Amino acid sequence: MAGESVISVRHLKTYFYTEKRCNKAVNDVSFEIRKGKCLCVVGESGCGKSVTASSIMQLLPRLSRIEEGEIIYHTHDKGDVVLSDLGKNSKEMRAYRGKNIAMIFQDPMTALNPVFKVGNQIAENIRQHDKCSKAEARKRTLELLKQMGIPEPERRIDQYPHEYSGGMRQRAMIALAMSCSPDVLLADEPTTALDVTIQAQIFELMTKLKEENDTAILLITHDMGVVCEMADDVLVMYMGNVVESGTAREVLKNPKHPYTRALLASILVLGKGKDQNIQPIRGMTPNPYNRPPGCQFEPRCDFACEACRERMPDEEVIEGTTHMIRCCNWREACKNDGE
Amino acid sequence: MGKYVLKRFLTFIPMTLLMSFLIYGGLELVPGDILNTMFPPDILAQMSPAELDVIRASYGLDQPFIVRYFRWLFRVFQGDWGKSMASGVPVKDVIAQRLPITLELALTGLVISAILGSVLGILAALHKGEVIDMILTAIGVVGQAIPQFFFGMVAILIFALKLKWLPIGGRTTPQMTHWYEHLRYLILPAMVLGLTQTSSVMRYARSSMLESMNRDFVKTARSKGIPEWKVNLVHGFRVTMTPVIILIAFRLPALISTSMVIENVFSWPGIGMTFKDAVTAQNYPMVMMIALIIVVMVMLMSLLMDIFTRIIDPRVRLQ
Repeated sequence: MAGESVISVRHLKTYFYTEKRCNKAVNDVSFEIRKGKCLCVVGESGCGKSVTASSIMQLLPRLSRIEEGEIIYHTHDKGDVVLSDLGKNSKEMRAYRGKNIAMIFQDPMTALNPVFKVGNQIAENIRQHDKCSKAEARKRTLELLKQMGIPEPERRIDQYPHEYSGGMRQRAMIALAMSCSPDVLLADEPTTALDVTIQAQIFELMTKLKEENDTAILLITHDMGVVCEMADDVLVMYMGNVVESGTAREVLKNPKHPYTRALLASILVLGKGKDQNIQPIRGMTPNPYNRPPGCQFEPRCDFACEACRERMPDEEVIEGTTHMIRCCNWREACKNDGE
Repeated sequence: MGKYVLKRFLTFIPMTLLMSFLIYGGLELVPGDILNTMFPPDILAQMSPAELDVIRASYGLDQPFIVRYFRWLFRVFQGDWGKSMASGVPVKDVIAQRLPITLELALTGLVISAILGSVLGILAALHKGEVIDMILTAIGVVGQAIPQFFFGMVAILIFALKLKWLPIGGRTTPQMTHWYEHLRYLILPAMVLGLTQTSSVMRYARSSMLESMNRDFVKTARSKGIPEWKVNLVHGFRVTMTPVIILIAFRLPALISTSMVIENVFSWPGIGMTFKDAVTAQNYPMVMMIALIIVVMVMLMSLLMDIFTRIIDPRVRLQ
C-alpha cells in the first residue's frame, strides 16, 4: 500500500459488557489509515464501525473497553505512540484528542452544545491545544468558518447552534474538527442526517481538506454510493470483523467476499431504470450475544461449508496486492467472474 | 424583552381580578355570622334583631354580594386594605411587617435546597449505579416521604432540646445586639425547610444531568480533549441547569405556602403564622389580603422565572 500510514490499528478487540453478558463489538480488526487518503469503513448498523472510530479516540462509553490489540499513531516528532496504552482521560490522550486526531459525528443537530455560541465552541478547541489569547482564537475561528464556506462568518460566529441549518452545523463541526489542523479526521456517518445536495457539498469540502492539508480521513458510512465517490481504501465490516479490505479499486471492482458481493448486488444503481433486479441478503444479522461459532456471515452465506461453521476463517491477502479477504470459499464464490 | 414584560404585566390585571373574586366569593361561602367574631356572646345575646341589623348596615353587610365585592375591590385598589379585626392595626402594616420575615425564611430555604440539591444530584449522576448514588437515592426517597412538620419537630427535639445548640423557635429576642445572634434563630427552620425541598431538587438534577451527559455534545466536548471536570461542569452542568432552575423557580411560590407549616412549628412570626391565626379567628380582612398578596406573589415569581429562563437558555431567548 503506497503512502505512509498515520494510524495503524492492529488486532483491535473492543468489548461491551452488560449484566454479565459480553458483546464482542469489535473482534480482531486491523487496518491502516494513510496520509492524505480516505479510508471508507462500510457495513450495516451494529457491525462495529463507530466503535472502531471511538476506540481510536478512546471515546468509548462506560462498560466498554479495548480488550486487546494496538492502536498506533505515527507522529512526526515523537515517533510511534501506542494510543491504546494511554489512559482514557489521561493528559497525553487528551493532548492528541482534538489536536492530532479529530472527530465529526453523525447528527450535527445534537453534536453542538445548544447553550454556547458556535464560535466559542470552536475557539474552545483552539484554546485547549494552542495556548493563545481569546482574540487570537476568535480570529482563527472566523478564518475557519470562512474556509468552510459559512456565509457571513462575522455574524454567524456569535450565533447559537439552533440558528444554523443542518448543513451549516455540520460545516461548523468540520471547522471545529479542523481547527488545530489534525493529521487524522474521523468522520462517523457525517451526512446521514443531511439531505443529498448538502451531502455532496460536505464531501466536496472534505475532499478539499484532504488534498490541501494532507489530512488522513476515516469515513464511516453505509452508503455504497459515498464509498465509490470518496474512498481511496475500503474496509468492509460485518459483525465486528473486517471481511474484506483493500484499495477502492480492488474491493469495489473485484469484490471477492460473499458478503461484499451480496452487499453490492443489493443496491439500486441510478440510471439503470426501474426494472433492476435487486437481490437482498437473506436472513438477518445474528444476535450479538449469541453469535455463530465460526464465520459470522455463515448462516446467510450461499457458499457456506462445514469449515466456516466450525471456525472463523483467517485473513488472507491476495499475493502481490493489498486485497484482504476473510473467507475460505472466496475462490468458489468468484469462479463465474470470468477473470 | 421590555415589551414582553409589559405584556405579562397586563395579563396580571384580569388574573388578579379573577382571583380576588374567588377569594371574596370563597369567604362569602364560609358559614357563621361575622358578628359572632366581633362581639362576645353575652353582649350579642342581649341585642335585639333590629340592633343587629343596624350594626350590619353600618358595616355595609346588608348590601348584596356583588356590591360588597366591588366596594371592597375599589378600596383595595385605593390602598385601603382594612383593619385587622383582632387588633385594629391596618392590614397593610401587618403585611408590610410580616412578609419580609417570611421571605427571609423562604429564600434561605430555597438557596439551601438549590445548592445542596443540584450538587448532590450531579454527584449522584456522575456516580450512577455506584454506592454513593444508591445512598443519595435512598436519602432522597426518605426525604420526600417525611412530612415537614414531623421533620421540624424531630429537629427541635435533637438540636434544641437535647443538644441545646439552637433556640427552639421564635425569631428575635429583645436583648439582641448582633445580627449573627439572629442567624441562630434562622438556622433550624431554614435548614428544615431547605432540606425537605432538597430531595426533589436532587432527584431532578440527577435525572437531568444523566440526560444531558448522554447527549452527543458531551462526546464532542470530550473529543476536544478538554479535561473531564470541564466536560462535566461546563458542558453537562450548564445544560442540566436550565430545567433545574425552572424547577427551583417553580418552587418559589410554593415555598411561601410550605413555609407556613414550618413557621407554625418554629413559631416564626411570618405571614404564614399570621395567616393561620387570621383564619382561625375568622379575621376576614386579614385573610383576604394575605391570600391576594400570595396570588400576586405567585404571578410575580412566575414572571421572574420566565425572565430567568430567557437569560439562561438561548433557544427561548429569540422568540
